[in-house]
Amino acid sequence: MPPVLEMRNISKSFGGTAALSGFSLTLKPGSIHALVGENGAGKSTLIKTMTGIHQPDTGEILVDGQPVTFRGTADAQRAGIAAIYQEPMVFPDLSVAENIFISHQNRPTLINWTTLNAEAATMIARLGVTLDPRRAAAELTLAEQQTVEIARAISLNVRVLIMDEPSASLSDHEVKRLFGIARSLRDQGVAVLYISHRLEEIFALADTVTVMRDGKHISTRPVSEVTQASMIAEMVGRDMAGRFAREPSKDTGETLLSVSNLAKTGAFCDVSFTVNRGEILCFSGLVGARRTDVGLALFGVAPADAGTVEIAGQPVTITNPNQAQSLGIAYVSEDRRKLGLALTEGITANITLPMLSKYTGAFGWLNRMRELTDAQAFRKQLNIKAANLTVPVGTLSGGNQQKVMLAKWLNTRPRLLIVDEPTRGIDVGAKAEVHQILRSLAAEGVAIIIISSDLPEVLSLADRILVMREGRIVGEFTGDAATDESVMRLAVAAEVA
Amino acid sequence: MRIPLGTLRILVLLAVFAATVLFFASQIDGYLNARLFNRISGSVAVIALIAVGQAFVVLTRNIDLSIGSVVGCSAYFTGGILIAYPDLPPLLVPLLAMAIGALFGALNGFLVARFHLPSIIVTLATLALFRSILVQSSDGSSITTDRLPTWLTEFATQNAFTLGELQIRWIVVISILVVLAAHIFLTRFRAGRTFFAIGSNPDAAAFAGINAGRTIFLAFVLSGALAGLAGFMFLSRFGNITVVAGLGLELKSVGAVVVGGVNIFGGSGNLLGVLIGAALIDVIDTSLVRWELVSEFWREAVLGLLILLAVAADTLLMRRLLHRKGGSA
Repeated sequence: MPPVLEMRNISKSFGGTAALSGFSLTLKPGSIHALVGENGAGKSTLIKTMTGIHQPDTGEILVDGQPVTFRGTADAQRAGIAAIYQEPMVFPDLSVAENIFISHQNRPTLINWTTLNAEAATMIARLGVTLDPRRAAAELTLAEQQTVEIARAISLNVRVLIMDEPSASLSDHEVKRLFGIARSLRDQGVAVLYISHRLEEIFALADTVTVMRDGKHISTRPVSEVTQASMIAEMVGRDMAGRFAREPSKDTGETLLSVSNLAKTGAFCDVSFTVNRGEILCFSGLVGARRTDVGLALFGVAPADAGTVEIAGQPVTITNPNQAQSLGIAYVSEDRRKLGLALTEGITANITLPMLSKYTGAFGWLNRMRELTDAQAFRKQLNIKAANLTVPVGTLSGGNQQKVMLAKWLNTRPRLLIVDEPTRGIDVGAKAEVHQILRSLAAEGVAIIIISSDLPEVLSLADRILVMREGRIVGEFTGDAATDESVMRLAVAAEVA
Repeated sequence: MRIPLGTLRILVLLAVFAATVLFFASQIDGYLNARLFNRISGSVAVIALIAVGQAFVVLTRNIDLSIGSVVGCSAYFTGGILIAYPDLPPLLVPLLAMAIGALFGALNGFLVARFHLPSIIVTLATLALFRSILVQSSDGSSITTDRLPTWLTEFATQNAFTLGELQIRWIVVISILVVLAAHIFLTRFRAGRTFFAIGSNPDAAAFAGINAGRTIFLAFVLSGALAGLAGFMFLSRFGNITVVAGLGLELKSVGAVVVGGVNIFGGSGNLLGVLIGAALIDVIDTSLVRWELVSEFWREAVLGLLILLAVAADTLLMRRLLHRKGGSA
């Protein structure tokens, strides 16, 4: 059968970083094609290129053998390509039927609700699901919202349906129903591209599997010819030259933080671990493994429901960031722009924000000389490159923004530093600098928790690695003993030895 | 050496202000004289006060639309109290007006900060509400110049000092002192910094342990108190207080704030810019009355256009700034 969609030698770069390089993929009608790869392998970029959100720098997209150009999602939609995501994108205030037909331009101006609802019911029935078309989307479960999205795609005569980690937030029962929908679409001649971190799902569902890594195509094989082990090896198999060198541990052996049975409903449970002064503890796992939630609980932003936390032997209950700060905890958020920096403000004002009391004299007067001196010192120590200390931090490069974030929290002189994705989206040079900063902090006796999805980073920095999956700690490694494959195997829950 | 953005903005504003004055001088006979300066400066003093209050609120990503009604109410109630107790010590009267204004502001602030209601709706409602209070109260008795103590009605025209023919009124001096004090508070004091932090990135402010609710409440109280002081000056300048006192001042205050370079989405701005913005808006407003080519009914339109231009320029500027990458920026 001739392919419905072909991606040929697609390359796409963002500011000098290649997200896709020479990637090719062929999708045939009536098949379920699985796509696997680590975080950052370029899957998202690929989907965005297929659906017209991004335009490839080079390479060709062919639909039914004809080269096409997608200038936007509307073009891709007309060609019959649609995507659904882990978080369904529905209009919460509109009904199921309205959500399904929202992108239809050819319907009559005057809405006939009877027809609209009847047609919506038919669409949903084709998926083997029952759902009242008049209900508001906001009332539906995540799985039902997903069904609405799929129905929307079908109503637009979808020929290629991309499912991007659709099962990540679903219960077992809901996953089974999703599989049923995917199979019935396949039987109706749709090409399904199924993306998942749960490798066992791929064996249950797909007939072909493509592995991608660092934006490149690694392999495409029938599912019958691959094993979980072979897929994992292909997903992580990077050349050793790219790895950072390890350094001897600065662990003092003196416990600073001890957490037992920490739990938060709907996020994580049974989380127990300790961190020593001078130790670097890394939380590894896939995006969505709820590692950040543990960090936010420890910093009091979204406090845990149950469990005990001890700092330097003292039991504490952390309920807000202010209190966490006074206990000597600092949290460097993964989202610099949203949760970290005041982008319109200068470097100095950002650095001193959590510690304004340190610079406050009589009547609340701010000692700006002291602020400036400290900011100057951090600028030098962390090598922050900026014209001066008053330029809005929003104009700095990602690496320099990250250093400002670090400076901001180092200025609180923390005993425990929690860093979430310390080097996401910054270049290799800045990355090495940030790693060096973290190591020297450990050498000064700061206990450090790093949450990172970047395996090489984890392997080069960590004294100890905890692997989380679906809100639980599923394994522990010492930094020396861990390998790409052993960590990844636990993170994706492969039972293979 | 690059000029910092904030300084550049002030310089541009000053240039626009100078150009505006020169333009009107070329259009209107005898425009540049001392009498006009004396009149306009008194009016600018009032606008500058409410603009400063508005700036505090806007910095925190909120807006105070009730400000015109607060000015009217403060003027009316202060006048009423003075008529009942004509022997009140003069120094106490402006403080009384500020307290009345602060009370109205506190209601706004409480509703916005405590219940997380959108300030644009809350203050739109209180704009109407406070105005009705004024209408209801002034039903029986009205405030007229002849019933007020003479020291009050003379105060608006009393000079702190003169420069040649230019008379610098006390109300102008007070207004400028308030602007300077507020400017120093925002830039040099710890509490001032929190206004910028909350407006710039509320989530990051929460991470840094800053109590947003308290700061937002304070912003509305300040806005109310300064509107109260403006109400006192209003009372002193006009003497007669009717139900329309202070009507439309919300537009002028928001206008002065955005023209002065405060980001309407909060987080950045400079009160010296706001002062120039207030002066600019008031000069245009007052001068258009005397410009024969244009009907005075166009005054509102020109003010609206000016606000539109300022917001557009600021939004475009910030967008470009934030999208420009590179460590040496």
